[in-house]
Amino acid sequence: MKKIKYLMLLVLSLTAWNAQAEDLYEKWNTPRGTSWGFLVRTGYVLGGTSPMPLPAEIRSIGRFKPEGGWTMSADFFNMFNKRCGIMTGIHYFMEGMNTGATVKNYKMGIQMGEDYLEGMFTGTDETKTFMSGFTVPVLATFRVSPRWNINIGPYISYLMYRDFEGSVYDGYLRVGGPTGEKVEISKENPATYNFADNMRRVLWGMEIGADWKITRHFTAFANLDWGMNSVFKSDFKTIDFPMYPMYATFGVAYLY
Amino acid sequence: MPFCALLATSCIKDEPLNSECDIEVCKVHHEASDTIFYALSDTLQKVSSVDTVINFYTRSRINPQDLSQVRVTFDLTPGATITPASGSVQDFSQGGVVYTVVSEDKLWSRTYKVRFLPRAVLNPDFDFENVELEQPRERFYIWFAYDQNQKRQDLWATGNSGFALSRSSAKPHEYPSVMLEQGVSGKGVKLETCSTGAFGAMVNMRIAAGNLFLGSFDTQNALTDAMKATRFGVPVNRKPVRFTGYYKFQPGEKFQDRYGIEVPGRVDAPDAYAVLYKNTDENGLPVTLYGDDVLTHKNIVAIARVPEFKVTGISDTSNWEYFDLPLEYKQELDMVRLSNLGYNLAVVFTSSIEGATFCGAVGSTLLIDESAIIYE
Repeated sequence: MKKIKYLMLLVLSLTAWNAQAEDLYEKWNTPRGTSWGFLVRTGYVLGGTSPMPLPAEIRSIGRFKPEGGWTMSADFFNMFNKRCGIMTGIHYFMEGMNTGATVKNYKMGIQMGEDYLEGMFTGTDETKTFMSGFTVPVLATFRVSPRWNINIGPYISYLMYRDFEGSVYDGYLRVGGPTGEKVEISKENPATYNFADNMRRVLWGMEIGADWKITRHFTAFANLDWGMNSVFKSDFKTIDFPMYPMYATFGVAYLY
Repeated sequence: MPFCALLATSCIKDEPLNSECDIEVCKVHHEASDTIFYALSDTLQKVSSVDTVINFYTRSRINPQDLSQVRVTFDLTPGATITPASGSVQDFSQGGVVYTVVSEDKLWSRTYKVRFLPRAVLNPDFDFENVELEQPRERFYIWFAYDQNQKRQDLWATGNSGFALSRSSAKPHEYPSVMLEQGVSGKGVKLETCSTGAFGAMVNMRIAAGNLFLGSFDTQNALTDAMKATRFGVPVNRKPVRFTGYYKFQPGEKFQDRYGIEVPGRVDAPDAYAVLYKNTDENGLPVTLYGDDVLTHKNIVAIARVPEFKVTGISDTSNWEYFDLPLEYKQELDMVRLSNLGYNLAVVFTSSIEGATFCGAVGSTLLIDESAIIYE
């Protein structure tokens, strides 16, 4: 009999806990209790544009600094049921980086009008890149707990401004290949480059993010945009490997 | 951010093996070096990346037997291997020895010929009749001459190989230093200041003056220190007293500074001079004059420089202007030094006087022909 009493108590308490959990989901629902809502987000963007994985030609990364990353976005979501929904929106972003790496036998070919210079560079490469534009993601959103949402899905970006410039120095170029003419390039007189015009306008990739409700109106979020196509056009041969943008955003959102 | 750097660093792969296979330095070890060579410094050669033949210049008359057992050592690209081995004794009396260098990754190789030649003595008549396209790629013209024994000597150099880096699409006649079909007599030389295009701007070297000079051009360091790329002078064993020749000149329209900015009102001028200098210092170490000190170095003993150029026009009907200048000696010649090839003579022609610092007017054109150094 005693056992049954305990069992009853356990069932009761579990039900109560469950009810309480249901209450929590209710409590952290949208302010107006609708299944849909708007999120206005702002955040800091940091990350980089890099070959993935790093090729063996890259020997070390001496310096890495994100540049001027900021985003402002508006998302709309609709929950199909308590747990699952869809989210989409439009993000304005500014993102970039500044990095210095040492490379060995880094294959490069540069076209300038009719002139072409091809070879292997060994030395230091400094790159600065910056992009701004709009991203439209289409995300599945999962409410994994009353206050947590995980969002995942593809995105497409359009770049309004793009820049990819830098310089090579403290090394040498072997023209044509490893047995070609050796041309030293010093720090005092670096060779500068700008490949902005060779960048694509349209990028796509996968976005994964997490939202955590601080209050019913305010949400903290983090997400990662992982580029699936190179920032450079496919006919661009200067850099021998695809360069993928990979930028993370940390910020806060206001829920309507 | 440190996280990102860490992430990136942790992804760095193992270093690939070296794929270069150069002889960087080549040194002769011979107990009778002083009887074989004019100067001890002639036993060591820094080898340019484009060289496939390494020449050691000996005294004019040596016993071939002295070259039958010579030990030569090499500095190679790290990891590269050479056959025959560095330091092995080889017979150089039969025209030279071929060496093969294989890269560390075993995927690349280069062959070099090492040989000993009597030091060429400059042919002082510069008629510029012997001109050909560079081999094997035939990108631009090179000039050479024959000595008294009808042996070919490659003593003339231009900056054309530097220009080739910036303008791969240029045809031979679009280079700064090109053959002129119709000179004073036979062929001549046309030197024209050219734009180096977008690549030149990348390295802040926007123009290339046409030039032709006695010496060598070091493309390897042309971007690092352009002034050091022009290595002026070849040894002489007679006393030069006069520098003569013919020219036509037309300046280009817009004089620009190093940054490509037009300098209004400034008219470009060419330059031509002959400089005699001591080719070793007090310690017997070799001295070469470069773009930045060829007219100012303390080893200079005599100079002749065309003081002023007339604008003659450069059409076929324009008249050639003749110059005949004495070398002005600042000090007495040491005859023993002279007989041991201890003086170098630099003769330099350029279409823009400040071309070495990349200032000048695109289009400035200097034609030259039938130049000479008159010996005493």
